[in-house]
Amino acid sequence: MSILTTAIDAISMFFFLIGLVFVFLGMIGLLRLPDVYNRLHATTKIGTVGALAVMIGIVLKVGLSAMGLKAITVGLFLLLTAPIAAHMIARAAHRHGVGLCEESIMDDYGKTYK
Amino acid sequence: MISELLFITLFFMVLALIPCLYRIIVGPTIPDRVVGLDALTIVIVVILGVYSFVQESIFFLDVALVISIISFVGTITISKYLDEGSVF
Repeated sequence: MSILTTAIDAISMFFFLIGLVFVFLGMIGLLRLPDVYNRLHATTKIGTVGALAVMIGIVLKVGLSAMGLKAITVGLFLLLTAPIAAHMIARAAHRHGVGLCEESIMDDYGKTYK
Repeated sequence: MISELLFITLFFMVLALIPCLYRIIVGPTIPDRVVGLDALTIVIVVILGVYSFVQESIFFLDVALVISIISFVGTITISKYLDEGSVF
């Protein structure tokens, strides 16, 4: 029984570390990338993988209690809504007239509606 | 062992609020600021989840769910306003 508890603790810590790494990489991308669309590409990973990994870590620690069910609800809600919000921001930015960075070589979406 | 990792996680999540605030203040265009606000809200939701586990109280998770819903609706509203000039 104690071996099983230790294994669940280790897997939970592994998921917490995954969440930490994804939040760290997303923040580096938010600071360093040159464009709205590149920053959006970096920060959407925090909403999907980072938050879901941390919530899965909490669920593995507390089991299927009220706290675990609420945590997995928050994680699944962020997993569903973060890509939709990112898509809406990118579409609004492109149609609002925010340009791409100088290193871009191709703009297919601009060709379709102009 | 798990409690030290939880406190390290809380420390790094609070440090991760600083780039979002930098992007909200400095960001050259309006969609940059919206991206920063979205990332800030998601980091706050993760902080509330971990803090709820540390305090062993389930009420912070309700706060996290409501904040994520409000963030989603606000992002969609600002995007529609930028796109079409009116919300409805």
